[in-house]
Amino acid sequence: MGSIRIPSPRGAFRVWQRNATIFRKYWKSAMFPNFFEPLLYLAAMGLGLGAFIQQGGINGQTYVQYIAPGLLASNAMFAASFESTFNTFVKLRIDRVYDAITTTPVNPEDVVAGEYLWAGTRAALYGTGFLAMLTILGFALTPENPLISSWWALLIPPMLLVIGVMFSVMGTLFTSLIKRIDLYAYYFTLVVTPLFLFSGIFFPVEEFPAPVPLLAWFTPLYHAVNACRGLANGPDLAVLGDVAWVLVFTGALALVPIQIMRRRLID
Amino acid sequence: MNQETQRENNLDTRSSTLVAKGLKKSYGDFEAVKGLDFEVFPGECFGFLGPNGAGKTTTMRMIYGASIPTGGRLQVVGLDVRGNERAIKRRIGVVPQENNLDDDLRVRENLLVYGRYFDMPKKAALRRADELLDFVQLTEKADSDVSELSGGMKRRLLIARALINDPDLVVLDEPTTGLDPQARHLVWDKMRDLVREGKTLILTTHYMEEAARLCNRLVIMEDGNIVVGGVPDELVEQHVSPQVLEFRSDLQSLKELRPILLETADNVEEGATGEALLAFTRDSDAVLERVRESGVTVENTVYRQSGLEDVFLKLTGRSLTD
Repeated sequence: MGSIRIPSPRGAFRVWQRNATIFRKYWKSAMFPNFFEPLLYLAAMGLGLGAFIQQGGINGQTYVQYIAPGLLASNAMFAASFESTFNTFVKLRIDRVYDAITTTPVNPEDVVAGEYLWAGTRAALYGTGFLAMLTILGFALTPENPLISSWWALLIPPMLLVIGVMFSVMGTLFTSLIKRIDLYAYYFTLVVTPLFLFSGIFFPVEEFPAPVPLLAWFTPLYHAVNACRGLANGPDLAVLGDVAWVLVFTGALALVPIQIMRRRLID
Repeated sequence: MNQETQRENNLDTRSSTLVAKGLKKSYGDFEAVKGLDFEVFPGECFGFLGPNGAGKTTTMRMIYGASIPTGGRLQVVGLDVRGNERAIKRRIGVVPQENNLDDDLRVRENLLVYGRYFDMPKKAALRRADELLDFVQLTEKADSDVSELSGGMKRRLLIARALINDPDLVVLDEPTTGLDPQARHLVWDKMRDLVREGKTLILTTHYMEEAARLCNRLVIMEDGNIVVGGVPDELVEQHVSPQVLEFRSDLQSLKELRPILLETADNVEEGATGEALLAFTRDSDAVLERVRESGVTVENTVYRQSGLEDVFLKLTGRSLTD
């Protein structure tokens, strides 16, 4: 019973496919809020607050230019977090979708891996739409100073997929530990929101006094933001370090929720 | 004697669809299943009859891999449940007690998506889904939302879903609980069709009538144990007399009545609620005559044939449906 379970790729794909089948029906209504929200932040913070930020902006960029790539990363975090918390909870404990799936050759470990991949896919889909919007808006409004300026930005969608998987692993870990849906308030207030505010999206954390930059280095969204910013403004080889951090963190944590979720489904 | 040995050997052959030996399941200090021995042969409809909490659902869950035994052995479709979960699940179909249809999918889609979990090719799944919708009489509902179905329709869709992979063994956990009589009869018809097709069925129920109608053989469970097992009619024959008289009256009169009944009837049991005495006999006229002679006031007398319910009552002192 104690042996560690490794998911089967085929089983995981079947679960991914189930979610994709349902998403195909609802994608228009599901996409819109996720797509619109980062635009609101961009308008309020970038244009509103940005107007008060002195000429020269941050690191030679205007404030809107500075925050836009970071919002791509945080949008992926939000998309994957909702998917792996509320949506997964409902499938696990309310609709009992996983009970039905696991009486077939698809095992619990495949279900969790499929959900990781799906959350990543959803994050990448939303993010790609938002990225396209940023690119077009940037060139339309300030062609001499666009929001997305590098061909490296083509690597942002796959990066968002990886970021989505990372936050799905974190959200699934929390989901596997709780019994009541209202406990997500803690996850969002104590984990997701602080990450959103203090990961270098709105201001550079590197310029804070001693322990702050180090603390930031140990948090996941910080590296996701760095990676997206580096790709949006590339070429920038520092991106590799952030990508490596994200991959190592995700890989190290991914099997933990799988084992716990297995115990939730098989007693 | 020779037959006995043959039967012993048979326990280990691959021909049995299901073999349990000393099967146990504990949750911490609580023993839900306390050491079951049973065997199910291909083409049988085998029942687990017992009140709620007897360990029926836990036993089903161990069969389809949702629960891991803590003792004993369990072989399903010739494979040990330890280490063969995927292979076993590929060859069985499960109708769970609680509806867990996929509400985000329409009726036919539920079957198609389920077929994908078994790696069925799309064309084969489509053909099979339409056959099954026809079988459970849901063809007109193929494109409806699951939420539009009645309880009986949902149960039939669950049965269709359990058959998508053409399983060797179908596990039904309380397939008719919560259904109205009409819906229940329809589900029974479908189960009988499956047995006629040669499928092996196991089902749990706390309805005596259901077990008696459908099962070739059954075991009666109580408190994590098998109390008795066999062919329904034979069990009734072996354990209780064919006729039952139920006498209802005030407690004082019942007290007076008891010795009189003991004299004439084969066996006397107290009804589950304590407000009735049940007299088991081969000659109900003689018992009635004797009661009339005694002059004890009886408010109400019911005559009926004995059944599995009475076997359960006799062996456990409890009623099946509490």
